[in-house]
Amino acid sequence: MATARGDATDEMLMVRYQRGDREAFAELVRRHKTPIYNFVLRQVRQGNTAEDVTQDVFLRVVQNASEFKHEARFSTWVYTIARNLCVDHLRKQTHRRHPSLDQPITQNGEDSRPLVDHVADVHPRASVERTAVGGEVAGRILQAVEKLPEEQREVFLLREVANLPFKEIAEITGVGENTVKSRMRYALDRLQEALSDFEEYARALR
Amino acid sequence: MDCEKFDRIVLDLLYEELDELTSAAARRHMEHCARCRGIGSGLRATRQIGGLPLVEAPAGLEERILSAERNARAELSLRQRLGRSISVMAGYAMRPQLAMAALLLLMIGSSLLFLRAKPGARESVHVTERGVPESESETVTVVPMPAKARAGEPASEARPGLAEREGKREKSASGADEEQGFAAAPPPAAATPELAKGDDKVETKATGGAALEGDGGSGDDEYDQAMADYRAGRYGHAQKNFDSVANRGGGNAPTAELFAAQAIRNQSGCNAAAPRFESINSRHRGTNIGNEAAWQAGDCYRALGQQDNARRSYKQLVGVAGYDDRAQRALAALDEEPMAARKAPAKAAEPKGGAAAGAKQKAAPKAKPKPTTSDSF
Repeated sequence: MATARGDATDEMLMVRYQRGDREAFAELVRRHKTPIYNFVLRQVRQGNTAEDVTQDVFLRVVQNASEFKHEARFSTWVYTIARNLCVDHLRKQTHRRHPSLDQPITQNGEDSRPLVDHVADVHPRASVERTAVGGEVAGRILQAVEKLPEEQREVFLLREVANLPFKEIAEITGVGENTVKSRMRYALDRLQEALSDFEEYARALR
Repeated sequence: MDCEKFDRIVLDLLYEELDELTSAAARRHMEHCARCRGIGSGLRATRQIGGLPLVEAPAGLEERILSAERNARAELSLRQRLGRSISVMAGYAMRPQLAMAALLLLMIGSSLLFLRAKPGARESVHVTERGVPESESETVTVVPMPAKARAGEPASEARPGLAEREGKREKSASGADEEQGFAAAPPPAAATPELAKGDDKVETKATGGAALEGDGGSGDDEYDQAMADYRAGRYGHAQKNFDSVANRGGGNAPTAELFAAQAIRNQSGCNAAAPRFESINSRHRGTNIGNEAAWQAGDCYRALGQQDNARRSYKQLVGVAGYDDRAQRALAALDEEPMAARKAPAKAAEPKGGAAAGAKQKAAPKAKPKPTTSDSF
């Protein structure tokens, strides 16, 4: 009996798409567009660019669908594509100045709020535990994340945004699992320092 | 668990990637270790408070992606389309149902190899004497033969397969006629007693040529009568009829000569038979009949104590196919016989001042070697 599309794993959907089921691909897009967009956004820091790169990620999936092996994990594959596209983009932008958190983000020419405000928006589906306690905290977090070395930042984003296990992150970044954990630990220590002034944080420690 | 191990697994604990057992051990350790408890709670609080909120993807992004997908599919290169088709087919090929179906077909296919025709589908199966199906080995058909073959038909033709095969056993360059004739010869009389020296049994066998004949008959009444007499132990009559057949000539003549000599041996002993065997041997030298006559002459000489003559007869058969082993063993046995045993008959036979030949005849007047079974015929 065929599995319902909503219950099917990513890999099953990808295999169905390989056989021509375009609805399966639409389901994959629905599932992964937001985390991929967020991962890309934290890397490239520009809304429009993040949107284009996200679209490119799914385009690569379409173009290389036949190369996907059903033994592989779809999330590993798609985030590897996303990471590579981000790296390419960042290389191209090396001569440009990094945007500030206070720099307005433009999305389809309508939104002109700064990135800090974007981040401070509480996503309706985000868990309460994972919600930043306020704009100031969120800004501090983002600043801390932005200041992270690139390899620590991507590990942090893959873990926190894409919610990937350390083993998959190791595959995507091409380093050992212990190295991944070490980078994650450094990233969390930086965040800890950034949040140490906040009373809310101090309360959570108790 | 110690602090060092806790440091290694603290992130796994934080993101709940530990198994139950290790997780419980880590929590127990935290209860007793203030340092590790501080690390654990600090990381947990950082994660709770500092989690990054997700930004909703732009509203039109999904539609843009799906639209790009439609365009991209239309622009796929031939190679990519082929790759996709192969991927689809491989997807089906990897299904376990297909593997099971292939296995089933393989089993059915291989079992067809073991299917045989129903027994009894053929009216009869022709086999050789050795029980091998005729079609698998030789062209010989073993079927009941009429008591009398057609008159005038050569014995060898009555059972051509046997004659042919027996002829193959001992190839002789010039004895084809005699071979066929002898192959059709009837069996000799029952085995005669063994040689007097029990331990020195000469390996002898029932005359094979005769054994091959069975009940079929030769098609020659006189020959058949002679054979009947021979079998019945009426050696006088048998010799007379065999001699008649031999004198008449024809295909059975050489065999008849040999059986006549055997009849003489069985009736009168080796003293009278040995010259006959010698005569046959000299006239048919090199043929199966000649070789058999030489062998039986050797046996007779041995029974008579004429070791030199026996050795000469056996030596003739050294190197002859079917006789070589027997001849070698007989010669070895002759060499091993103690001198006394070789001389005793001569002394006993030699009267004081009498002729040696006459004495020898007295010494072993009725000596009969065990007739050879020679299925080498």
